Order: sequence, then C-alpha cells, then structure tokens
Amino acid sequence: MTDHLRSLPPLLEADGLTKYYGPVAACEEVNLALQSGEIHGILGENGAGKSTLMRMIFGLVEPDRGVLRMEGEVVGVTDPPTAVRMGIGMVHQHYSLVDALTVWENIALGESGTLDPDRTRARIRRISWSYGLSVDPDATVRDLSAGIRQRVEILKCLGRRPRIILLDEPTSALTPAESKFLFNVLLTGVRTQGWAVALVSHNLDEILRATDRITVMRHGRVVEQFLTAQARVPALAEAMVGRPVPLRTVTASFEEDEAARRLLETDHLDQELADPPPVPEEPSPPVLEIKNARSTTPDGRKQLDNLSLTVGEGEIVGVAGVEGNGQTALADLLAGLLRLEDGKVLVEGRTAPSGVAGAMTGAGIAVIPADRHRVGVVLGMSVAENLMLGDLPGMRNRGFLRREAIRQYALSLIDEYGIQTPGPDTDLGDLSGGNQQRTVIARALSSSPRVLVAHQPSRGLDVGAIEYVGDKIRAAAQNGIAILLLSTDLREILSLSDRVLVLHRGRVVGEMTKEEFDLERLGLLMGGTEDRRQDDR
Amino acid sequence: MSVPHPPSTRANPRTAPSLELPLMYAVSVGFALVLSAWLVAVTGHAWSSVGQALLDGSVLAPGRWGNTLTVSTPILIVALGMVVGVKAGFFNIGQEGQLLMGALAMALVGTKLTGSGPVLLITGLSLGLISGGLYAGIPALMRFRRGVPEVISSLLLVFVAFQVIGYAITTDWFLRDPDPNRPSLAVTSAALPDSIRLPVINLWGNQFGVGFILALLLAGLVALVMGRTMFGFKLRLLGASSPVAQQAGVSIARTGTVALFLSGAAAGLAGAIMLASGASGARLTAGFSNEIGWQGLLVALLARNRPLLCVPMALLFAALRTGGGFLAAAGVDRTVVDVVQALLVLALLVPPAVQYLQDRRRGPAWSDTGETP
Repeated sequence: MTDHLRSLPPLLEADGLTKYYGPVAACEEVNLALQSGEIHGILGENGAGKSTLMRMIFGLVEPDRGVLRMEGEVVGVTDPPTAVRMGIGMVHQHYSLVDALTVWENIALGESGTLDPDRTRARIRRISWSYGLSVDPDATVRDLSAGIRQRVEILKCLGRRPRIILLDEPTSALTPAESKFLFNVLLTGVRTQGWAVALVSHNLDEILRATDRITVMRHGRVVEQFLTAQARVPALAEAMVGRPVPLRTVTASFEEDEAARRLLETDHLDQELADPPPVPEEPSPPVLEIKNARSTTPDGRKQLDNLSLTVGEGEIVGVAGVEGNGQTALADLLAGLLRLEDGKVLVEGRTAPSGVAGAMTGAGIAVIPADRHRVGVVLGMSVAENLMLGDLPGMRNRGFLRREAIRQYALSLIDEYGIQTPGPDTDLGDLSGGNQQRTVIARALSSSPRVLVAHQPSRGLDVGAIEYVGDKIRAAAQNGIAILLLSTDLREILSLSDRVLVLHRGRVVGEMTKEEFDLERLGLLMGGTEDRRQDDR
Repeated sequence: MSVPHPPSTRANPRTAPSLELPLMYAVSVGFALVLSAWLVAVTGHAWSSVGQALLDGSVLAPGRWGNTLTVSTPILIVALGMVVGVKAGFFNIGQEGQLLMGALAMALVGTKLTGSGPVLLITGLSLGLISGGLYAGIPALMRFRRGVPEVISSLLLVFVAFQVIGYAITTDWFLRDPDPNRPSLAVTSAALPDSIRLPVINLWGNQFGVGFILALLLAGLVALVMGRTMFGFKLRLLGASSPVAQQAGVSIARTGTVALFLSGAAAGLAGAIMLASGASGARLTAGFSNEIGWQGLLVALLARNRPLLCVPMALLFAALRTGGGFLAAAGVDRTVVDVVQALLVLALLVPPAVQYLQDRRRGPAWSDTGETP
C-alpha cells in the first residue's frame, strides 16, 4: 500500500453505526474504514454483530444511529438497490437465490434492460472462467449443492461490477481449493481494480491468509484493530472470544507465513495425530452397512453410484470429498428422505427400507444435517417441540401430548447440551445458529441412536461451538455409536476420523485408515485422480 | 463434560408487537368504514341508515340474531376444516364443491331412503361428511401420486361439482322434484321430508339450528386436537417442515391425505347441515352453496388458522350476510353491500400482511446466525 493511497479518504467509511433490537445492541458505535485496494477482515464469534454491520452498510437494516461516507461524502443507503447503484455488492451468508430458476435466470434477476439468455449465459461463463468459479448456467438452483449455490451468489455479486464488496462468511460452504480461488479473485480485484473488500469470518485461518487489515468485533462493538502483517493468532483469538483460547481449537497450524502457503500442512496434521481421539481396540462387526446404493436426480444426474460402505461400533468414519459429490444424497438417504433405485441400507444386519417415513430413524439412525434449516430443525415451532422429536413415542399418552413430560425432557436437554434459550417455549427460529445446532445435536443424541450421521456438523459455527461438536462426536463414539462424518473440511475429517473414505461422483473412490493418512493421495482422490496442481494456479 | 458456552450467544425473543397489531387493525378497519360510508353516500344513501339496516338485519330486529347464528354455522365448519388442512401444509380451496357434495349425499339419503327421521338424519350427516372428504381425496390422490398441486385441482373440482349438482336436479331418476305443483318454477330437487330436520333451539324469540352448537363444539375439538394431541402435533410438524416430519416417521402422503380428507369432510358436513337446517327450502338448488365455501375459506384466512378465532370471524361474516338482506329492503343496491364486505375483509387482512412483510424485510430470525431478531 502506497502513501498517497492512504492519504485519500476511505472508499467507504462507517461512522458510529448503532443498531438495537429491543434492549440488545447488535451493533454499538461501530467505526469501520474500507480502503480501496485493501481486504478488510471482520472477525468475531457468532452474534458479535458482524452480519448486522454488513446488512446496515448494504441497506438491509436501517441503523438507529451513525452515518456512512463514500470517499468522504455522507451517503444514505436506504435499500439494497441503492447500494448496488453506488457500487456496493454483497455476498450473503444464507443464499438469496430462487430455487425454481436456473443459474443464469437467477443472475439476470434484478438486472435492468432486456433479457438476453444467450448473452447472459456467455457472460456467466466468462466471469466464472476468469474467476475460476465454474458453474453450469443452465443448472436449476434447486438441484445444486450449498457450495455451488454459494458460487452462484458470488458470481451474481461480481457480475454487477461492484467497487465495494461485502462478503458474509463466504467460505463456509466452499472447499479449501474453492476458498483459495475466491481469495485469489479478491486479491486480484483489489490490486488491479482497486476494490475495497470487507470479509466477514470467524475463521482465523482465512482472515490471516486473505486480509490486509483486521477488525475484531465482540458483543456488537469493535474491540480491536490489527494490521494483518502484525497480527498473531493468540492475540486475535483472545480479542474475539474475550478469554485465552487453547490453541488446538484455533487451528494450531496457523502461524505467520507467506501469503501463498498451502491450506493444510503436514506439521498441522502431525500435531492433530499427536493428540488422537480414543479408538476402540479392534474392529467390530459393522453397525451400519450400505450396499451398492444407487440413486439418480429427477434430471438424470447420478447422485449415488453403486456406493458401499460400512461403519463399525464406536468407529468414526470420515467421508471426504468436494461438495456436490453425493454427500447430501447420502445424508438424505440415512435421514429417510431418499428412495434408492437399487441397493440397501442395513443397521446391525437388518434392512432399513429407504425413503419410508421414519424407517431410518426407527432403525436407530440419527442425522445431524448440513442444512439444518431444510432438514434439521422446525422454525416456527418451539425449542421443546423440536427436542421432543428425539422421542416421539414417549411423549404421548392415549394420543394426547404429555405436556409436563415434554417440558421436563426439554429442560433437561437444554441443560445437558448448554442450549442458550429464554425457555423451552421459545420459537427455535429466535435462537442463534450455534444454539440451533446444539438443539439438533441434542435431539440426535437423545434418541439413543446406533448410528450418528454428521454432515458438516460445524459449518458456520464459531470456535467454541466447533470444539463442542468435536467433543460430542468423540464422546458418542466412545459410547459405541457408529459415526459417519461427512465433511468437506479436511481438518475436521482428519482430526476426528478413524478411517477416511473419499467420495467422488457418488461413489467411494478410496479408503485409508488413520495410519495411512496421506494428504497428497487424499487430494488426488477427491479430484477424481486428476492432478489438482492446475487448480492451484 | 465441559460445555464451553460462547459468551456472546444470546436468544433474540422477537419484540412482541403487543400494541402495534391492534392499532393496525383499528386503523385499517376504521379506514374501510370511512371508505364504505363515502361509497354509500356517493350512491345516494345515508350511511347511518345503511349501518342501522345492517345492525337490524343481523342482530337487533326480532329473530335476526338467531338467523345470523344459523347462517354462521356452515361458514364456521368450513373454516375449521380449512384450518386443519393449512396447518398440515395443504391448501384445499375447493370447499364450495365439497360442500355441494355433502349436501348431495344428504339429499339422496333424505329423498331416496325410507326410515325413521333421526336415523336418516344421522346417516345423511355422516354420508355428507364422508362424501365431502372423498371429494377432497381426489386432489390428495393427484397430489401424492402425480404431484399435481392441490390448490389448483381442488379449485377446479368446484366447477365439476356445480355440473354434477346441475345434472342431479335436472334428471328425473336422480334428484329432480317430480311434483308438478312445486312452489317454485326453478328446477330443484325434491324437498327433504320434514322428519329429517336438525332440531331448532328457541331462545328469547330467536331460533337457530342445533348445528351451531355442533360447530362450536367442533371449534373446541379442532383447537384441542391441533394443540394437545400427538395427531395434531404431527399435522403441524408436517406443515412446518415436511423433511423433518418424514424423518420423524410422519408419512407425507398418508398424513397429507388425512389432512385433505378432513378439510373436505368439514365442508361436506357443512353442506349436509345446511340442507338439514332447511336452507333453500330444504331443497338442493343450482346455487345451493351460495358462496358459503368461499366465505369459510376467508374466515380461516382472517382467523390466521386459529380455530377459536374462527368463531367470531364466522359470526362477523354471517352478520354481513344477514344484515345485507335488510339493505335491499332499505333500497340500497345489494352490490354496495358486497363492496362494503370486501372492504372489511381487506381491512382485516391488511395488518397480518403488513406484519408479515415487515418480518420479511427485517429478515427472518434465522436469516443469519442470530444477530438480528
């Protein structure tokens, strides 16, 4: 960064932005300066006010106090269209795409002028090619995985040629390689086009890797600001959480290093292996067995292609793979939401019919889904009603609900799993993401399952909650539950699994035990044996 | 086990719109009344006399409130069925047709079968309920076998029902009244024998059918079942999230069919009750349903699917109907009453809609990780 740039007023400046929800300050006197040519990391735990700040800048939330300045001039951003006109783009944490439309239709949506499908498609191909975010313009959004939807969202934002880009947890659904691409895209845009980027995250790694400057928020306030070059992991973690954090959970691997370092390094892996999760002494007969499972999407793509796997008692089997290679279908299958065309699922040797309501749950399979809003929790029902799903038969008496039993059941789970809620009757939608996830975990484990399927269990969670989820999964394995861990986060897979399977295009293409972990090979398998070096450029 | 509580996690109880909503209702209803008064004045009447006529016709004049209760009965029952369907996530909007099917079953029982009055009455009501339910079962079948949206199929089946009734009352072997000396020139079915009538309650010079009591009991029953039983919970679960419901063992097709059947059965029962209460001279006519089905649907909408709130809403609609009858006597065009009624419905719909939009604008609570309520 040169001196003459620094002397200019910031491209965008938030001055004293404050937003209250009832008596609670979501943001209080927040100052933030986004400089042209800089990536500004905004770090904080869930509920720290990061998203609210972004939403105020983008005109989605009206601040109670405070002003925005662009290049020194006070501006009023009253709604998102105004923000877009002023050159502000935002990539949301939860996607704002229309499921029934195709990718190009979604991207064309909200643009002015006449609709030209061919030109839009061509433009999408160009943008996605130049940014390395490949996506089929004619795919229907409904059929896309969370990771691909995120790409579409990012393309939609970039297609409007913004000068200021706000990214709210952009990488929570991306693979490591995709994240790296995104950061390269941002870096190029920042250096060559003078973008000002605000990158919201609770991931220390990526904040340190990708940003020039860091603002740490806690409880709706800015607690500290750092120049990334001078920032250190322990200081950042402490500023974020407000207390010293054991390093293992903040990804011990990360120390100051050159910007282009690899995401995962062997020393990090060694460190995780030095602290192994408890494992059963010898392999036991499989608790969960999937034999030759096949399924196809309505539009004819293979979701599961002759997939077979087993999970033993107390074993944690990690399923690695790039998002969109059948993980969601596998999780849906085990949640009883997907009917197989061929193959079967066995729990302790007994066949559980696929796609039949309650059959998988009845067979003893509990699922922590990746998209908890789709299949995990019921928004609009109370915490207690959500929790009681773990034991429906126990909650009725002659067809009537046992209201006191439901309440006691909920209270004990709220206590046991540390769910922060005003009470069991609170609408689940009013809880924070981390506490909704705790509710999902509480329900899954309280049903005393034989098999626990955890699909991206720590997506979108903060440091403390990730630690918590890992502990719960290890404890469940110790109790003899067979665990199938589906994740695109290799760090999560490697730190928890006894055995790793690699999923590619709906089939298991490789397997390695804990002793055989080999990142190079894992990477090759995830890419479908293609050399992924070209991706790294 | 150590449970690290994230220090910043907190729940966000939605700020209760304790005063906001009633105020919105007051403003929008007030606005609708002013607009109605203006409309009445423009069409050359005194709005005070119109209001008086409405009140007289629905409540004040001798015998009128009993009449209002009778009229409210089928509206309320239809609305309760709608509530059950909507809570389970299915929008059956074919009540007008299902009501006709219920009335058709009652008419067949009453004119074709012989037996003691009470037995025939109960048989007719039961068959009315079942045929309404089965008629709503057609959309259910189409929905769960072939993925046809039940909103569209149930609506279109209303027009089929009109044709069926038209055929029935014009066909000799079916229901056409064979009596050449019948009082009306219009083609109708034969009248239900006098022995097949719901008992009438006499109270302070007002008469209303026992069906009203039944409808009230039904409202309580629906509230109880939806709120307090496992069956009701499963219906609500299905409506709130079908994947979670399926995972928990609630079959979408089976439970959804039950929900649609129940919503149609209510409409069928309403139709049977109407006929057995002597509506249209206890004869099935071409316009027999008389928009009761649509109004029940609106009542459920206005009551925002709360079974007990359906009671006052149904009474309000019935009052507008019975009051409207007096307006004609006051020389006011019947269409003015329809417009006034539509304005009131809109006024009652505005506050919940505004609130919904506000919530959406703020973003639902889960639109990010708990930072905005």
